[in-house]
Amino acid sequence: MMKTHSLPRLRLSDTQFGILLALPALALFAAITIYPLFSSMYQGLLEKSLLWPGQEFVGTENIRAVLDDDFMPLLRTTLTFTLYATLLPFVIGFAVALILNTSMRGQGLLRSLFLLPWLIPTVVVSFLWMWIFNANYGVLNGLLRQTGLIAENINWLGHRERAMFAVIIAKSWNTFPWMAVMLLAGLQTIPRELNEAAAIDGAGRARIFRHITIPQLRGIIGTVLLLSFIWNFQHFEMLYVMTTGGPAKATTTFSVAVYKTAFQKFDLGEAGAIGILWMALLSVIVALYLKFGTDNE
Amino acid sequence: MTVSRISETSTMAASQRQKLLDRAVLYLSFAVVAVFAFFPIYWMLVTSLTPANQVFRFPPRLFPASLTLDHYQAFFDNPTLLRYFRNSVLVSTATAVGSILISTYAAYSFSKFRYAGRRALMFLILSAQMFPQALLLIALYLMFDELGLLNSYWSMILAFTTFTLPLCIWMLKSYFDTIPDDLIEAAKVDGAGQFQIIHRILMPLAAPALVSTTLFAFIRGWNDYIYALTLAGPHKMTLPPGLVLTYIGEFQTSWPNLMASSFIVSLPIVIAFLFMQRYIAGGLVAGAVKG
Repeated sequence: MMKTHSLPRLRLSDTQFGILLALPALALFAAITIYPLFSSMYQGLLEKSLLWPGQEFVGTENIRAVLDDDFMPLLRTTLTFTLYATLLPFVIGFAVALILNTSMRGQGLLRSLFLLPWLIPTVVVSFLWMWIFNANYGVLNGLLRQTGLIAENINWLGHRERAMFAVIIAKSWNTFPWMAVMLLAGLQTIPRELNEAAAIDGAGRARIFRHITIPQLRGIIGTVLLLSFIWNFQHFEMLYVMTTGGPAKATTTFSVAVYKTAFQKFDLGEAGAIGILWMALLSVIVALYLKFGTDNE
Repeated sequence: MTVSRISETSTMAASQRQKLLDRAVLYLSFAVVAVFAFFPIYWMLVTSLTPANQVFRFPPRLFPASLTLDHYQAFFDNPTLLRYFRNSVLVSTATAVGSILISTYAAYSFSKFRYAGRRALMFLILSAQMFPQALLLIALYLMFDELGLLNSYWSMILAFTTFTLPLCIWMLKSYFDTIPDDLIEAAKVDGAGQFQIIHRILMPLAAPALVSTTLFAFIRGWNDYIYALTLAGPHKMTLPPGLVLTYIGEFQTSWPNLMASSFIVSLPIVIAFLFMQRYIAGGLVAGAVKG
């Protein structure tokens, strides 16, 4: 490659230059994503604390301890949150997409406005809903009391099931605009003639929806649901800000457990062990996504 | 003749009725989702503008009796919050700049060059979007501690830049794919250097994609909570964890102040996004479908 020594500059072939261009990205990626992923999981095989130096290799001891103790409750909580926080915004988002797909006045503006809940930083979304669900002065209790639906103020965030409900509502509010955008994009690719032909043939709205809209959107529906499932499976911020995983671990998912074990209990071994199990489950879901989700581009 | 005419008018009346019913259903369902979507935002604004003595009252009033800007004033009078704000601007801007440079080079490489392992690398980088960040944090904390980068801007900038790479590279690559190779060849014939081609030809042509990727990277830095909370330390901390530390967990959270601060944190993102929306919507959909 360096045939002309008289030239002071290093002469690279096109291919070498191409690889060189990708190097900074690859270096960062290796150092700040790949290495930490495996290193974090490796902590799960050690007896190690943030509080004192030193470590000891203990093999699968931590993993077995987690499996015996916290694993099933964590899995149940994570799946509950993930499932509802995926399906609820999907339903709302689909409704919004269908509404925006009709010829309504002020459509462009509406489409932008509906994005707002998605644009707001998740920490702010958490604050907003904490305030709405506030037990003493919250507007939700206020409205429910004034309409006579409840007689006493409800402590939403301090009760196991209600706390989970509140976090799911908040997360759904944050996610549904994204679902709506994706589904609307899908709806707009359905040829108008298809719907019109079906209507001429006497198909009602419900039948058109079932036999044309849904099949035409199958690809995008699958992608949206799977992606959202994967993201919710690792969601941290709203669960931690709104309830810090409580009350009594009722909203402690894998992500909250890993964080609290590592940075509040300072037990890196146990945190890593939870991480290994979490990552194993996640890989299965991601594999499903890669198999089915990317088939339909 | 008459019979058919009558049935014709009656079907017309029926379809008229059907249309009215459709409209009614449409507007009703619209009203329901609109209340769900917009009431919380309205409530944030109203609370942030209501005098403190009227906020802590039950039942709350949907329309406050009087309004005040005191709670916004309180944000700008608070040196700690202003420091968090400055940190947020600095970290997010640095993330955006770093991310855009690095992902432009990588996207150009993936789009216009052919070498062994290229596809596998792209795939690996894309799949990184799925890695749980709470887990990566453990090793990153240890690593940054070792390097003496804890409690610095660098730990956040490095982490956020890396986390934005998958989507940024993908968005830019798909844009570069639409730029014909002939254009690059022609520039080469004219004697343009490799970096000149990138900076003078490719980047201006890809301006819309660059705008949306820059914005995406900025937002990633601006919105982050968990990394800023853990790596930054109290002095370099950005607004999201800063607000939690300042307001949450007090005996009595000052909700009007927190709502005013929340509005201030959200505003830059919302304005920027709505402004750039037409570039983003396309990239958003495409990135997620392929991503």
